[in-house]
This record gives sequence, C-alpha cells and structure tokens, in this order.
Amino acid sequence: MTDTFLIGMLVLAAGLFAVGLFGVLARRAVLFQLLSLEVMLSGPSLAFVAAGARHGDPAGQGMFVLVLILAAAEVALGLALYLRMARTADVTDSDSIRDLRH
Amino acid sequence: MTLGAIILLPFFGGLVALFANLIWPRTDRWVALASLVLGMAALIFVTAQGVLTGSSAAGIEGEAGRWLALHRSDWAPALGVQILLAMDGLSGVLLFLSLGLGILTVILSWNETEKSALLMAALCWTVATSNGVFLAFDLLVFAFFWELMMVPAFLMIAIWGHGTREATAIKFLIFNTIAGLGLLAAVFYLGSTSEGPVTFDAFVIAARDIDPTVQVWVLAGFALAFMVKLPVPPFHAWLPDAHTQAPTVGSILLAGLLLKTGAYGLFRFPAMLFPDGFAVLAPYGLILGAFGTIYGALVACGQTDAKRLVAYTSVAHMSVVLMGICGGVHFSMMGAGIVMVAHAFSASALFLLIGAIYDRVGTRDIRQLGGLQRNAPRFAATFALFFSATLAMPGTANFLGEALVITGMFQVNWVYASITLISLVISVVYATRLFQRVVFGASRKAEVKQDLTWRELGPILVLGTGTLFFGLLPQGLMVALDPAVNAAVGAIQAVTK
Amino acid sequence: MTLSPALILLLVPSFALAAFMVLGLYPYTLRRRQVHIIALLGGALPLLIMAPLTGLCAAGHCLGVVPIFTLTVGQSVVALALTLDPLGATIGLTVSAIGAAVLVYSITYMAATSLADLRRFFALMNLFLAAMLTMVLAGDSIVFFLGWELMGLCSYFLIAYNTTSAESITAGRKAFIMTRVADAYLLAALLLLFLHANSVRLDVLIPASATLDATMTIVIAALLLGGALGKSAQVPFHTWLPSAMAGPTPVSALLHSATMVAAGAFLLMRFAPLMQLAPAVQVAAAVLGVATAAYGAMSALFQQDVKRLLAYSSISQIGFMMLSLGVGAPEAAAAHFVMHAIFKSLLFLAAGDITHGCVEGTDLSSMRGAWTRKPVSYVAFVAGGASLAGLPMITAGWWSKEAILSAVQGFGAVGQVLWLGAVLTALLTGAYASRAIMIGLMPMRDSDMPHAGNVHRHEAPRTGTIWTNLPLMLLATGAIVAGVLVTPIMHFLGAEEPHASAFSVYVAAAAPLLGVGLALALVFVPRLSEGLRNVRAISRKARKMPRRGEGGPQSRFVRLALWLNWGMRFDGLYQVMFVRPFVKGVRWLNGYGSAPADPVGTWPMLALVWLQQKITAPLAPDWFDKLWMWGAAGVVRLWALVRRVQTGRVRDYGFAMAGGIAGLLLLVWGTP
Repeated sequence: MTDTFLIGMLVLAAGLFAVGLFGVLARRAVLFQLLSLEVMLSGPSLAFVAAGARHGDPAGQGMFVLVLILAAAEVALGLALYLRMARTADVTDSDSIRDLRH
Repeated sequence: MTLGAIILLPFFGGLVALFANLIWPRTDRWVALASLVLGMAALIFVTAQGVLTGSSAAGIEGEAGRWLALHRSDWAPALGVQILLAMDGLSGVLLFLSLGLGILTVILSWNETEKSALLMAALCWTVATSNGVFLAFDLLVFAFFWELMMVPAFLMIAIWGHGTREATAIKFLIFNTIAGLGLLAAVFYLGSTSEGPVTFDAFVIAARDIDPTVQVWVLAGFALAFMVKLPVPPFHAWLPDAHTQAPTVGSILLAGLLLKTGAYGLFRFPAMLFPDGFAVLAPYGLILGAFGTIYGALVACGQTDAKRLVAYTSVAHMSVVLMGICGGVHFSMMGAGIVMVAHAFSASALFLLIGAIYDRVGTRDIRQLGGLQRNAPRFAATFALFFSATLAMPGTANFLGEALVITGMFQVNWVYASITLISLVISVVYATRLFQRVVFGASRKAEVKQDLTWRELGPILVLGTGTLFFGLLPQGLMVALDPAVNAAVGAIQAVTK
Repeated sequence: MTLSPALILLLVPSFALAAFMVLGLYPYTLRRRQVHIIALLGGALPLLIMAPLTGLCAAGHCLGVVPIFTLTVGQSVVALALTLDPLGATIGLTVSAIGAAVLVYSITYMAATSLADLRRFFALMNLFLAAMLTMVLAGDSIVFFLGWELMGLCSYFLIAYNTTSAESITAGRKAFIMTRVADAYLLAALLLLFLHANSVRLDVLIPASATLDATMTIVIAALLLGGALGKSAQVPFHTWLPSAMAGPTPVSALLHSATMVAAGAFLLMRFAPLMQLAPAVQVAAAVLGVATAAYGAMSALFQQDVKRLLAYSSISQIGFMMLSLGVGAPEAAAAHFVMHAIFKSLLFLAAGDITHGCVEGTDLSSMRGAWTRKPVSYVAFVAGGASLAGLPMITAGWWSKEAILSAVQGFGAVGQVLWLGAVLTALLTGAYASRAIMIGLMPMRDSDMPHAGNVHRHEAPRTGTIWTNLPLMLLATGAIVAGVLVTPIMHFLGAEEPHASAFSVYVAAAAPLLGVGLALALVFVPRLSEGLRNVRAISRKARKMPRRGEGGPQSRFVRLALWLNWGMRFDGLYQVMFVRPFVKGVRWLNGYGSAPADPVGTWPMLALVWLQQKITAPLAPDWFDKLWMWGAAGVVRLWALVRRVQTGRVRDYGFAMAGGIAGLLLLVWGTP
C-alpha cells in the first residue's frame, strides 16, 4: 500500500479516536460512554492494522486481536459496573457517582 | 587588702548569714552583726594607719597627704579593668556612716521573724555595695557597684515593705537603672577612647586632656545617674513611693546611705575628671538645686503620710547639697559635705521614729496620730530633737552645713542664697506640721501607748549624739572633709581662672 | 586659784543649761520638790554669777572678748567667743534677774500642773534662759545666732505648752514661722559680714563694716533691721505676739515681754556702730519704731483681754526702743530695755495672779475687784502700770522714756515729728494703763463672783504665798525706784545724758496725765463706755465687723474700736496675702486640685510611660508570627483552589488523562 493511503488511514484512525474521546467526555450516560470507548478503541486498532499492512508485518493484526481482547474485558467490566450502578443507585449518570472526591 | 576587706567582709557576712540559720537557729543576725563590726574595725584600722603614716598614697602623684589608703590589683587586664580602691577623708566619713548605719539597722531588725536571714543578707549587701561605690576608683568597678547597689534595696522593698511594695520596688529599680545607663555609657566611652591601652583608671583619665565639649556630654551621663539618686526634681518621683512602701530599716538605709552615694559621686567625679564640663553645667545644676529645694519643701508641707513628708524633705535637703556642690567654692562644698552627713543622721532617726510609731499603731497618717506628748514622753523628746535638726536649728550639724552652703552661695550669687534661706523658712512649716500633728494634741484615732524601747532608743541616741556632736564640735568632720573639698575646689578654680 | 575669764563667762548660761538637761533628760522620776529646786538653781545661779561680773564691769574691769573655741574652715578661722562688755553686762544682769523672778513666781503659779508637764515647763524655761544669756554674752556672730534661734525654738515649745489646745499650737507655729523669717534676714546679714571681714568675732566684724561699700552697708543694715523687727514683734512682723499670749503667764512674762522680744532691740544695740553707717536705714528704723509704738498703743487701748493688752503694750514700748536706736541713742534704748523688763514682767505676773482661776480667763473683766481680792498683786499691778504710763518723776518708766524723748528731740527736723508721735503714744500709753488699773477698782459683777459653780477649782489659786509675793514686791519696788539707775546705765554704756528743753519735758510729763484723763473719759463718759460695751459684745460673739450704721449707737466709734481691737486687721491681711496663697499652692502641688500630686515628679514619669507606650504599641503584635501564619493561610487558600480538581466525576478524570497523555506525546515527539 502507498504512504498516502497509510496517512489517510491514520487520519481516519485519529478521527475515530477523537470522536470516541469526544463521546466519552461529552456524554453523561454510562452506556454511551462505553459505546464511545468502543469507537475510541477502533481508532488505534485501525492504525495498527493499517501500519501492519503498510510494512507487511503481521504484528499489526496481532495487536488488533489484543485490542479486541482488551475491549471485551473492558466492556465486561464497564457493563458490570453499569449494572451495579443501575441496580443499587438507580442512576445511569456517571456524573452522579462521585463520592471519591474532596 | 584591708580596703578590700571593708567591702568583702559585709558581702561575705551577708552570704554566710543567708545560710547560717541552717546550722543553728537565729545565728543570722549575729553573723551579720559580726561582719559589720569587723568591717568597721577594718575601717578604723585603715584610717588610723593612713592618718598616722600618711604615706599610703603610693601610685598617686601630686596628692600627698590626702589619700589615706590605696589598693590596686588586676582584675581583667585585657579589658583594662583593675580593682582600684582609694580612700580619703570624704570616703572615710561616708564609710563610717555606712557601716554604722548598717550596724544600727541590724540591731533594729533583731527580732524580725519573716525571712530574717534574707533580710540580714540584704542589709549587709547594701552596706557592702555602697562601700564599693565609695571606694572604687576604677570607673567600671564603680559603675558595677553602682548598679549592684540597687539589688539589695529592691529586695528589701519588695519583700518586707508595705502596701504596693512590688510595684514600688520595680519602679525604684527601673528609674535608677535607666539613670545608670547614662553612667555606663559615659564610662564605656571614657574607657574605650584612650590613646594608650584601654583603662578605666580614674586617675589616669583625670590626667588626660579631654575635649571640653566631650566633657560636657560625658559629665551629663554621669550627672544623670547621680542626680536621679540624689534625688533632684524632676527625677525624684521614685523616692516618696520607695520610702513609703519600704520597711523601716529599708528607709533608713535608703535615706542615710543610698542617697549619699549620689551626692558622693557628684562631689568626687565631676571636679576630678571633667572640670571644664563642670564649669559649663554647674549653673544648670544650681538652678535645678534651687528649684528642688523650694519644690521639695512646698510639697512636704501638704503631705499627710509622715514618711512621705520626710521623703520630700530629703529631696529638699539633697537639693541643697546639689547647690553646694555646683557652687564650686570651698564654703559651699564643705557645707554640702556636712549636710550629707547631718541629713543621714536626722533623716534616719526620723524614719526610725515614724517606723516605731507605725509598728505600734499601723498607720503613718498624721491626721490619725497625735498625743505622743501625753503617752510617750521619750518619743516626744527624741522627736523634738530631730524636729529641730530638720529645721536646721543652730547646734545641729544640719544648720552648720546649710549655713556654710548659704555662705558659699553668697559668694556665687545672692539669689541662690536667698532661695536657700526661703527654703529654711519653709522648713519650719513642714517640720511643725509633722511634729505637732504627731506629738501635740490629743490622740485621734491611733493612740501610741508604748514608749520607745531600749532597742529603739539606742540607735536614736547614737544618731542624736552624732547630730549634736557634729553641730557643736565639727572640727573633726571638717578636717576629714577638707582635703577632698580643697582638691575639688582647686580643680574647678584651675579651669575657671 | 584664778579662774580663766572664759570659764566664768561660760558658767553663766551653763547652770541654766544643766538644769534643762537634768529636768529634760534625766530618765527617772523626780519629785516635785526636786524639780522646784533644780529649776530655781538654774534660774538663780546665773544671777548670782552675773551680779558680781556686772559689778566688776562697772568698776572698769570688763573682760572684753574671750575666745572659747576655734574652728578652721578652709582659709578662714572661725573663733567662737563670749564677751563681757557694759552692754552685755547690763542686759545680762536684767535678763537673769527677771528670769529668776519669773521662775520663783512659777513655783506656785504652775502648782496645779502635772509633774511631767511641770518638768517640761521648767526645763524649757531654763533652756530659754541659757539661750538668752548665751546670746547676750556672745562675742561672735555664730554664738549670737545660736542663742537667738534657740530662743525661738523654746518660744515655740513654750507657747504651745498646752499641747492639747489647738489655739496654743497654732499660735506657737505662727510665732515660729514669723520669727524664722526674721532669723533668715539676720543669718544673711551675719554671713555677708563674715564673708567681708573673714572673721566671726564681733569685735572684728563691727569695725570691719566700716570698709563695706555703700550698697552693701545699706543691705546689711536693712537685713539686720529686718531681723530685729521680726524678733521684736514690730510692724510689720508683729502679728505673732498677741496670739502668743496663748501660752502660760510666766512664759508671757519672761519671753514675750521682757527678754526675747527685746532681743531685736538688743541686736541693734550690739550692731549700733554698723547701723550708724547707714543713716537711711536708721531713719527707717526710727520711723518704723514710732509708727509701731503708736500702733501698739492704739490697739492696746481697745483690747478686751489683759494679756493681749500687755502684748500690744510690749509692741509699743519696744517701738520706743527702736525709735531710740533709730535716732542714734542705743544707750537710752538699753536703759529703757531694763526698765521695760522690770515693769512689763511685773505687769504680766501681777495680772496672771489676779486673773488666775477666773471664769473668764484673762479677760479684762477678771481684773475686777482685784483691790479687794488680791491687794498685793493689785498694788504691784498699779506700780507696774504707773511705770508703764510713765507717770512723771515718781516711776522708773518716766526716766527711761524721758531719756528717749530727749534723744529724739535732739535729732533735728525729723526728730521733731518723731517726738510728737512719741508724745502722743505716751498719752495713749497712759490711757490704756490707767484703764486696766481702773477696772481693778471696779466691783465684781455677780456673774464674776467666784462661787462653787464658776471658779475652775483645778486652778485654785494659792494667793499670798511668799513665792508669788516676793518677786512681785521686788519688781514693784524696782518699777518705782529703778529710775535712778537710768543715768548711771547710760554713763556706763558710754553716753552722755541727753538734754532736753524744759518745754518738751513739761509736755512729756503732761502726756501720761492726759492719758489718764482719756481713760477716765472712756470709762465714765456714757457714750464712750456704751460703745466699749458694744465692742466687747461684738468681739466676743459675732467676731465680724459690723457695717456702717449697724453696731448700735456710736457705730463709728464702735467700728474704730473694733478695728483697733483686731490690731488694724493685720492678721487678716497676712492671711489673705500669704497664708491663703501658700496653702492653695501647697494643696495644688499635693494633688487636691486638677493636677496630679507632685506634678514635677509625676509629669516626667507620665511622659516616660507615654513614650514607652508609643514605642512598644506598634511592636506589640508579633510580626514574625503573623508572617508565618499568613504563609500558612496562603497554603490553605491554595489547597482550597487545588481541591477543586478532585471532582469525583469520571469524565473529568478521563479528560485530564487524555489531555495529559496528549501533552506528553506532543512533548516527546513534537519538540526537536
């Protein structure tokens, strides 16, 4: 693949990352934050794959599998926390759980 | 070394007396008495030796026949401080006075029960430090004893006094210490600004030629300390309170001894060390003295507390001493010396009598006293004697001194002589006020029933005999004071000629 | 064995002094008899020594100046000395004689006093006698002044003898203060003379005064005059003498009539050569003398108390002596001194005896009926009064007064005026003396009759004892007969008897007789006697000057008489001029007014305290502590800011992490 393509892919990846970051920061509902986190994760994974494709290194795709595993674990944890939150405090608002503050 | 003994014997005697009671009860007074008597013996020995041999003036040139004893030994050579003690007629007379009054006060407080050991120690230390002042001719040692003198007096007022004694003792200490700062500053200045090695030796400094303007300032420092001690208005505010709140023996030593140290300082050091400065400042001293003698007399005329009244008369008399010294002529300075001695006798006796009355009836308010003539004739008779001494009745030493001062004042300026004469007239007003309120009349609220005991009468007789003796046969006293007066007058005249 | 002259002269006052010391200082009790004996010895022995000494002097062997003691003061030699010269001998003999008489009289007069008080009395009287004799015999100014002041001190104690009476004490104090002022003048004069002559001996001082310059001579002479005026109770220093009558009668007789008050005149007699060098002062002395004499006589005329009457009389008679000294006739003054001592002490002693134990005390009404009650004393009083009045030829007072008047008349133009004043005074003297005598002839009023209710039993008089009668009789004889001594005394003192014109002698003789007539008029002319009764009532009760028109009939006369009764209100004047301002000033200084007590002492202290507060007040808070605490507070504020980072919100932490990582990446990869 050519460099311009790689750059294009990296820009797309950065864009995905930014969108995901924005979503995490801008949304209050935990579910949407988790969704945004997935989107964020897709960004670097695209970057990995694109870079692997460019250099012909399979490690890129291997990193993608790692990211998938990471995403799965993190979603599981996040959903568990979300369920916990919804059941005990009956809120879906991440802003409202802030007892660990001053 | 015997000169040192005159200071050290009372000092160590006081120290030992402090702990003597631990060894055997009631020995503190015996120890104190013994040390003072021994000190007196040493003094007699030194005087006799000085008079008979007349040669112990080693080390002081040009003053042959004047100094009776001299002692010089090193103390801190690096700082230029030596133990330089010298005695001439003037200091001799004052030393006799000091030790004599010390013995009298020890006898008077023989039966004191409260903290008697400390009292005996304080009495001895007052005598010792005053002796140091009278003998020291190394200026730093002089300033050392000067400051030290106030400590035992402070103790006496604060512990055995009456009324607001702690506050008064602190006021006394602060006043005199601030005044002593002037002395210290002057002494340090003198010691440090020498061309040769640092020395505080008064004789060396006397021989030095000090710039007249500098002399004025240094003399002002010295004079401040002495005038506060004298005391001269406007620096006298500590005296009435100190006398009122002090115990009887404290008042006796204060009036008879401590005030004389100020007079001694004025007599000795200005003429010896700063003749030019003295010539400049003497007129102001005369004005202060003139004001003080009238002011003290006037305030005394309105007092209701007997001790305060006598305190203000002390202010008046010591202002006469100041006038005499500042007059700078032989008559007035001799008169000042005699008034010093006479006032010691008469003021001490009056304080003794008033203290005896206070012990009996618990009040010194003359509006409550009276009728002493009826109940206590011995009281009345002795009061009459010292009443006439305060008035300066001829026959008492007080009159002799004041008459000589007036004679000297006529030589200086007749206005000052008139002012002293006016003060003599006012003395009748306050003396009769005290005397007739206490002795005459029917007793008012506080009736004195018990006459003077022999313990009180003894010291009174000694003081009375002294007053009359020096009033009628003053030749001995004059001979003793003459060399010092001549030296002072000579130094002053040498400058003013 | 020859006694040295010094020793003999010293003995004269020594016995009296020894009596004082024994009576005053002996610590154990003496019985009454012993006290009497010691006192009498003290009084009589000086007389017994003085008499032969005077005789010796009269025979021409005066001892002159006898040094007893020498002091060296600096360059000057001070020689204390006694002297026996004609003046000293005369006065000394008089003083010792009167002293002896009064002490003898006192033995019964003071019989009712307690033993302790009696001892005090006799001790002080003897001390006084010793002091006066010392002064008289003094050969140098120091011994002179010693005696002079000691007399003043004794006077104070003796006037205030009754120590429980506020009146006596105040009178004593007043006397002491006024005489002290005079003493100050005298001391100044003596010291100035000492400085000039460089010696204290009188026989050196007085001649040396000739070399003084003119101003100094006048100053010293004026100072001496001031001293004399004060001691002798002359105008303007006279107000103490009438009050001094609060003392017992023997005190008044000895001190305040015969001896001490005449000491001022004696001073001027001693220093007469000096006074003659200052004619201005001499004239002043003469004028003051005659003025005082007139004043005293006028005031005496309207007194209601016999002792006060006699006190003003003394003021008046010593004015005569001053007059004589002022015209340069000290010898006549000395003669009058002797005569006056005799008749004045006689008058006091007699009046004391007559009024002893009476209800009204020494009020004139106590004199009533003296002729019947106490004939001896009354006769003595009459003799004294006649001598005082100077009844011509037959009394001693006439001769001495005549000598003075002759001397005055010979003084020139001024002398004529002075002579006139003196004659008028003699007239008034006759008047008041006669008035007192006449009252003695009047019968007692019922209210004055002594009966159980109104006689002070504790003062029960013992009349007719030898102790009272003998001195009275001797003095009475002297008052009549001693006139023959006037000329010898004047010759003894070295003066010729002055000659006077016959006219002046007749006028002077007529004056006292006219005075007697005036007294008769005062007593018997109804308007005048009624006026006097009003005066009496007012002076005793209201003690206030009635306004014009009040005071009953003869109000002008009453007001004049009251004014003179009160001594022309000099006392009040001095109260206003001196006493009140002094007391006000003293009270202000002692804090009774607005200022704090002892202002000169307190203000520096207050200033110091204010200064100290001004200096320490800004420093009172601990600035370093404040600094530290401000730092600590800053830290707290910082924390308040910083803690806001911990919001507890996941999103904020996420943002921070993202921002931080972005920053780090930029830092690592973005910068070269």
